[in-house]
Amino acid sequence: MNLLQIKKPSTTFAMPFRHRVVAGKHLLTNTEGAFVLLDDAEFRLFAEGTVERGSTLWTRLVERNFVRAEVDLRAIEERIRTRKRFLDYGPNLHIAVVTLRCNETCVYCHASRANMDATYTDMTKETAEKTVDLILKSTNPSVTIEFQGGEPLANFPIVQHITEYALKQNEKIGKTLEFTMVSNLSLMTDEKLAWLVANKVQICTSIDGPQHLHDKQRKLPTKAAALPLALTGEGASPSAHLAARHWIGRINDEYGKMGLDTSLYHVEALLTTTRDTLPLWKDVVDTYVSLGCKALFLRPVDPFGFADRSGGRVEYPRKEYLEFYRSAVDYMLELNRQGVQILERFAAIFLTKILGGEDPNFLDIRNPCGAAIGQVAYNYDGKIFTCDEGRMLHEMGDDTFLIGEVGKTAYRDLMGHETVRALALASNLDAQPDCVNCTYQPYCGVCPVHNHKSQGSIFGRMRESTLCAVHKGIQDYLFEKIASGDPHVLETFKRWTTVRDRTHFLQTCAL
Amino acid sequence: MSSSLEGFPEGQVQFDLERGAASVRVDSSVYPLEALYGAAYVFIDRAYVLLDRAEGDAYRVWISPKKPAAEDALRALLGEFANELLSCAWRAQIAKDSRSIIEQATTRALGGARGAPSLDDLESFDFSDESFEDPLGIAMSWEEKYGKKKGAEGSEAKAAPAGAEAAAAEGEPTP
Ligand code: SF4
Ligand code: SF4
Repeated sequence: MNLLQIKKPSTTFAMPFRHRVVAGKHLLTNTEGAFVLLDDAEFRLFAEGTVERGSTLWTRLVERNFVRAEVDLRAIEERIRTRKRFLDYGPNLHIAVVTLRCNETCVYCHASRANMDATYTDMTKETAEKTVDLILKSTNPSVTIEFQGGEPLANFPIVQHITEYALKQNEKIGKTLEFTMVSNLSLMTDEKLAWLVANKVQICTSIDGPQHLHDKQRKLPTKAAALPLALTGEGASPSAHLAARHWIGRINDEYGKMGLDTSLYHVEALLTTTRDTLPLWKDVVDTYVSLGCKALFLRPVDPFGFADRSGGRVEYPRKEYLEFYRSAVDYMLELNRQGVQILERFAAIFLTKILGGEDPNFLDIRNPCGAAIGQVAYNYDGKIFTCDEGRMLHEMGDDTFLIGEVGKTAYRDLMGHETVRALALASNLDAQPDCVNCTYQPYCGVCPVHNHKSQGSIFGRMRESTLCAVHKGIQDYLFEKIASGDPHVLETFKRWTTVRDRTHFLQTCAL
Repeated sequence: MSSSLEGFPEGQVQFDLERGAASVRVDSSVYPLEALYGAAYVFIDRAYVLLDRAEGDAYRVWISPKKPAAEDALRALLGEFANELLSCAWRAQIAKDSRSIIEQATTRALGGARGAPSLDDLESFDFSDESFEDPLGIAMSWEEKYGKKKGAEGSEAKAAPAGAEAAAAEGEPTP
């Protein structure tokens, strides 16, 4: 429909709204994040202000606060408050890089790894304690400490020390603590696993898809310490995939033995989508399902860490990525139709905002983003960054996102740091050209670190941003599916927005 | 020196391929100065950038890549600059229009993250009357700053020229 066909647009009927044509329908969203999909005839009535009072269309529009005369201001206020609840608390996610050492070499390594003999990149006990002391100063009553590297298992004593020290210190403070570890698992042993399970440290790993792709992208140069011979055979080259697969099974078994519901408690895996991944969307999904994973995060490769240098080999146009995304999620929906439970994380994040009216507080897709005010990254040497991506740039020689040092910088000074203020402004979608008028603004987020790296300014230009292309493309896909009205798809989408807390991993101390 | 570039109106740009520099004329009635500063700043990691007052109501921006660049690369750089300039200009306008909503969200976010000062914070707060460094004399009263100027020495005397410049810029008489 040509908008010029609307002869007499009414300037008084509608509340402010944003408009985009998706799947031949008119998608309208408003400030509170409600949406409505209208066909041509309905949109014309809406735009001309001639919707019949009491009609179904009238009710749909009024319920979602699109009609000025019937607007419920209290409801709008309440819904915006609910969506922005995350603004009232400080950082929840605290990333502790306990070492840069890693035994795997990955084509896209984001963390700028160091070789296994680079023990000078191990976090010391003293730095670890100062880091915990600072973390516990967060104004957030819930705190997650995420162990990252390098490979955190390469400096396991510090993982143990941080966990034990944080639990001890928290006895006086009474926050809810959670611990997670992102590991390639190839340095796992039975003893380490027993300790991690006993101390309720959640484990997350990386799986790049089927074995041939995973092993091509993630090289394990020395035989993985804990990989049973039976899996590779004598003399066979070590397989990072088999090592991870072996330990995923072992960890999930442990949870089962403890009587935990393994549909909720299981190893989560992360995918990095490279050029080689694109044609393998089906194999990727099948691999995740076969590993017992219930979620798959189809993350595109980003411009941080080594991925930048190897960009030519792993990068791809975002149009191709979006085709990959559509194929993979279509297939996941089909699997769900057959009773297999698997969800896509990007979709779940956006759908929670679109259908659930809540913000799941995913720090990279929120407004403003979580740089420092939602997450903080602590390097092995005590340097503090607004987020892990900012830390990765530091490893590439760019200190723009360095905001302090443990033991030297006070918590409130970190949160009030000029860089933090600048990032809060730069990621505010009401201040961004394009986003300010974008139909997806209520659900979206921009990444100043990505902008800085790829476009030279923390504000960036969304028209040319690959991240915006991904966010827009995914939301187009989701709204197309919603517009199709397929009850099975809608039911699956609704299920994807249901968050089940993993309460077993929450560690609270009664004061 | 050439003055045409595909995609730019005739006479708008100047090219000096030998020196590896290009310039673009920017109408000051179309782009605010703050947008020009913002856009120019984005390029300082890749290029040397100079802002100049061209003829009449126009600025001229010179960009010279730090690494030698062929015509294509220069053209791309100028194109990038033009896009960034537009983006900065529009962002400045949006920031003005949405000022209160942006401020509200930022204040809430930073306030929520910082929280109230703790006793430790208060302990390290400097409540003393000790003077702090104030080279521009911002914390001084008018009398302190200018009343005793004659014969004044030390920091007050040093503060005067900067303060005087500021006063003159605001159209006030220089004491
Ligand atoms: S700057 Fe980017 S990576 Fe860092 S918290 Fe914000 S969105 Fe996330
Ligand atoms: S990032 Fe892109 S998709 Fe998201 S709100 Fe901004 S313009 Fe829209």
